[in-house]
Amino acid sequence: MGTNAHEQETIQSPLVWHPQSAADAWQLKQNFGADAVYAAGGTLLRTQWESGLAKMPAHLIDVSRINGQEEPIREHESGMTIDAATSLAACRSDALIARKLPLLAEAVKQIAAPSVRQLATLGGNVSSLVGDSLPALLVYDAQLHLFGGAGEHWEELSDWLAATEQALLSSQPASRLLIGITIPMPEGTTDSHAVAPAQEELVSKTKRFGAYYKVGRREAFTPSVVAAAVVGSINSSGVLEHMKLAVGGGQTIPRRLKELEAAFAGSELHAATLQRIYDGVLDVYEPRGDLFASADYRKSTAANLIVTELWKSAAEAVTGGW
Amino acid sequence: MGDKAADASTAYKLSCTLNGKETEMETAPARKLLSILRDDLELTGTKRSCEIGRCGACMVLIDGKAVNSCLTMAYQCEGKSIDTVEGVSAGGIDPIQQAFLEEGGFQCGYCTPGMIISVKALLDGNPEPNDDEIAEALSGNICRCTGYGGIWRAVRLAAERRRQPS
Amino acid sequence: MLLNREGSGSRWRIRPDGPSKVTGQLSYLTDMTAEGMLYGLVLRSEHPHARILSIDTDAAKQASGVRAVLTYLDVPGLNAFGIAHPDQPVLCEDRVRYVGDAVATVAAETLEEAEYALMLIKVEYEPLPVLDDAEAALAPEAVKLHEKGNLLHHAGYSKGDLAEGFAGCVHVVEETYYTPRQMHTYMETEGGLFVPGEDGRLTVYAPTQHGFMDRMQLSRILDLPQQQIRIVSSPIGGSFGGKDELNVQPYGALLALRTGLPVKFHNSRWESVRAGLKRHPMKITMKTGTNAEGKLIAHQVRIIADTGPYSTLGAEVLNFAVEHVIGPYVYEHLDINGYSAFTNNGMSGEFRGFGGNQAIFALEGQLDRLAELHGMDSWSFRKLNMRRTGDTGPFNQPIAQTDGAEQVWSVVAGSELWKEKDKEQTSNQPPWIKTGVGAAFVMHGAGLGVGIPDPAGGRLQLAKDGKIEAVFGYEEFGQGLIASLELMLIEQFGFAASDLRIVIGDTDIVPDSGSTTASRATAMMWKSLERMRVPFEEAIIARATVAAGLAVDQLQLGEGGVRRKGSEELIISYEQLAQLEGEPVKSETSFHFPTSSVDRIGAHFMYTYSAVAVKIELNTLTGRVNVLKQLHAVAAGPVVNPQGFLGQIEGGSSMALGFTLTEDAVMDKGYYMTRNLDTYLVPTIADQRGDVEVVAIEQLPEGDTYGPRGIGEVGSVTLAPAIASAIRAASGKWVTKLPVQPSFLQEQPAFLQKAVD
Repeated sequence: MGTNAHEQETIQSPLVWHPQSAADAWQLKQNFGADAVYAAGGTLLRTQWESGLAKMPAHLIDVSRINGQEEPIREHESGMTIDAATSLAACRSDALIARKLPLLAEAVKQIAAPSVRQLATLGGNVSSLVGDSLPALLVYDAQLHLFGGAGEHWEELSDWLAATEQALLSSQPASRLLIGITIPMPEGTTDSHAVAPAQEELVSKTKRFGAYYKVGRREAFTPSVVAAAVVGSINSSGVLEHMKLAVGGGQTIPRRLKELEAAFAGSELHAATLQRIYDGVLDVYEPRGDLFASADYRKSTAANLIVTELWKSAAEAVTGGW
Repeated sequence: MGDKAADASTAYKLSCTLNGKETEMETAPARKLLSILRDDLELTGTKRSCEIGRCGACMVLIDGKAVNSCLTMAYQCEGKSIDTVEGVSAGGIDPIQQAFLEEGGFQCGYCTPGMIISVKALLDGNPEPNDDEIAEALSGNICRCTGYGGIWRAVRLAAERRRQPS
Repeated sequence: MLLNREGSGSRWRIRPDGPSKVTGQLSYLTDMTAEGMLYGLVLRSEHPHARILSIDTDAAKQASGVRAVLTYLDVPGLNAFGIAHPDQPVLCEDRVRYVGDAVATVAAETLEEAEYALMLIKVEYEPLPVLDDAEAALAPEAVKLHEKGNLLHHAGYSKGDLAEGFAGCVHVVEETYYTPRQMHTYMETEGGLFVPGEDGRLTVYAPTQHGFMDRMQLSRILDLPQQQIRIVSSPIGGSFGGKDELNVQPYGALLALRTGLPVKFHNSRWESVRAGLKRHPMKITMKTGTNAEGKLIAHQVRIIADTGPYSTLGAEVLNFAVEHVIGPYVYEHLDINGYSAFTNNGMSGEFRGFGGNQAIFALEGQLDRLAELHGMDSWSFRKLNMRRTGDTGPFNQPIAQTDGAEQVWSVVAGSELWKEKDKEQTSNQPPWIKTGVGAAFVMHGAGLGVGIPDPAGGRLQLAKDGKIEAVFGYEEFGQGLIASLELMLIEQFGFAASDLRIVIGDTDIVPDSGSTTASRATAMMWKSLERMRVPFEEAIIARATVAAGLAVDQLQLGEGGVRRKGSEELIISYEQLAQLEGEPVKSETSFHFPTSSVDRIGAHFMYTYSAVAVKIELNTLTGRVNVLKQLHAVAAGPVVNPQGFLGQIEGGSSMALGFTLTEDAVMDKGYYMTRNLDTYLVPTIADQRGDVEVVAIEQLPEGDTYGPRGIGEVGSVTLAPAIASAIRAASGKWVTKLPVQPSFLQEQPAFLQKAVD
């Protein structure tokens, strides 16, 4: 029988630390080691404590104040940066994210419920390794701003997810602290996957597309079974110029399906190609099944959603007056 | 290390505004707001049900936004303005509550205080919500009795009345 | 009559208990506290099935703040409970049979100290083989969970000669249906306050659906006369059948009496999931045959119900299912066999619909399949086989006759929604979205049925302060019983709402009106008022004539007091009347819920008829189903309270939506996998965006004396087969297992299949 939150609150209510910088937070974690846990919104922690999945720690390191930036969501010459401690509610209602990162906006809208999103943070969603924002961030080539033993550094989200998964498998969890998430936007691009057809039409006959899907077990406030994001471009001949695919959901750590991205760039999107992409998703995506949804169902759902998005976009690119 | 970092302690004094009154109380910094409200302050309009943020029965307004008090820890309330259903009802029956009464937006009533809080947060921020916005705003409030029929009617009526105050 | 606010006029009223609910001022029994109270908790089994080798409570007893630690040794009376058959241990002695079994109970000064004390109790277990499958539990070689074996109950019914019947059939459909372990998910978990009095009495403030049953059961456990126990049981934050059986009451009562202090209980959600009742998962195999004209000839059914470790109302639920797998249709040959098996899974028991939900899903599935084999419209096929007015009930028993079957059938047959069935699937939908229309039909029994004590009654009295008191032993768990009673008193007697005081839920005051269950309370209140009306009116007017010097026939009851007939002039107020000398003004009645004159346990006499049509949308990419529209036609006699009626059907259908699409308390080897509302998913408001229309048919045959029929459950039993029928229309697939598995309905996009070709 695990202890639960009531007992822990009084008998060993954690000390709560409020460091004002990543370096201070990091140092606290070094000092207390396994007795300390970083907390941003704390929603996942509270759930784990209540269910007895995790013990309340002796020390809670509140990382909600470590950035000290004026604007938690900001645009700069190389892209957009969102502080890790930004609440999902702030992401959901942010006009800049809605305009420039529509897939992320859509993903955040479908995470938990509005009240939970007031507390929960984007950084927490990313750090959980299975957050539903991850597929959107992956297709945006997000980079993580981390603080570790060697100071601050940047890492590709997709690399970080893979490395962290490996570290977990070898029971050597990395203890780097997430400070922020940056979406690179190379100079000249107006946004990450272009949704302004009028402008696009002037410069090329290419249709850019992007979509985020979450499939759960009910219509709202549900754990995901599949969370997938896709962006790319298709020319007016129906040729897929490029695409980026990311899939996750449930307890599966999301990943980019780069092998498929590379294999199909330059392919004409007719039915046979779509069938090969479909088969490719089944082949390369390896989700974890559970009592509620099998791995096979998760695969076929991801494959269905991805090829349908491509099929729709190809039809629009060819006939949609682009 | 910053000065504030050294403030950590289990004996903690929370300062916040509760139902319009500036309040200070000794509590543990990680204590659930739900426990503070129900057990320490006997404000039992805020209900206990799932305690993991999945049902909305414990919803309160924090700086005007609906938040699950079972997920909120004392230190996260520091300096904030918290309103419970008791605060919302302090001036008598609120127009949202009136709409719930008229349309039968409740049965057992146990989810109702949390539901009222979420509707208030919705309409205060968006006086003319469409059905998608209503569904999103209330998706964290489970009602097991009504099948939401009366709740849909009540929210639409409350929004309508805000547009056309009679 | 389409039921809504607009059409209900002044009968659509604000509930008397409404203002305190919407403002949060209403104190639920789990909100109560008392000076110096202790917090109670229960230590429950770590294993689904184990022998208890030892229980050591020494360390717990010595822990800080702990005031009592009790085990089976501390139960003064019968160490068992169960409404029908007490076989569930209050505190287990030598064996645990499910993960909710109680081993010890603790009271401490704080909740945290009580939790800590639980951790200090050492229980040594020897795990035993786990029976997690009802059919396996019935195998001869299975380990016995009870002395009498693992069969709680067999219920059968047969007529004719099945083999002969099937021999003459042109079509025979054989199918097995599976239904989930649905959780009530009342928002208020179990709990309450237990207060010992100086006089040795005990007051129990804890939700239940039948205060007197709790009092009797606690009396047995505590070895205390019933008069020494007072049960206060309303208001209740939802029940749906789940709080009819005892839950925390034995522990609160034992601890309060032991410590002499008030003890509070309030289950965590996980505690509620673990210990509480669920709907019986059933496996129902049906073989049904028709003749060339499409008439049902032979119907064979085998029901296996997983009842969990103890009896509670498992046998009664099975009886109900056996009756409802026969249902509203006529057959020549029947052979029905139901088996309710003990297992080491969670407790199954009473839940809105009471075994009907499972039975009707299966039966209506058979009807749809046979109609299709005959190339007939499924609705016409039902009409062909339906019981007619004047026919007997499913067990060939006499029933209260109505034209309900025909009436609800016609509403669906003539509805716009049903006509959409034959329309082409709209072409502006993407090709992976499919829509379908389906319908189902039910006759649902109310009351407990033949052979089960089913008392009813109530009391009206003029109180000292001039209030008209209506005193009933029923409970308010949200259904709107108080509102319905108020409206009946206003409409039948002419009282104003302000003249009334409604008294329920306190065994010291109320008469035993029977349980608030089985869709019976409103019908029984209506009948009680009808029986009391004349004597109560006469008693008031008799007193008024003396005071006013007017003749009886010049007076009538009205708002605020007795009024002059014709002019409505107030002659004397109820308050003034109450102050006069005289015999107490009161009227009491007690009677039995009407039952059929047949020797068949559980057979019903009063039925509610309902037909449901739905339109669904299936996204074949994901296999997920969305219900777009629902039409419920309900024939249940006069609508007592329109808002309450609508709320019962809407709310019941939402529960059925969960039963059909998302809800299942999944167990693995006797352990719950769904421990809270993050994995056990009930419908949210986003799942309930479709229109729900409710048509109430109020006409009863001339001379009917039974009045309104029950509507508390019927909304929850017919939606699942209607959705299954609509899924068939949309996808061509027959659903046999609930909740519907999206993987079963998922398809590859058509544009890929073309490529494969």
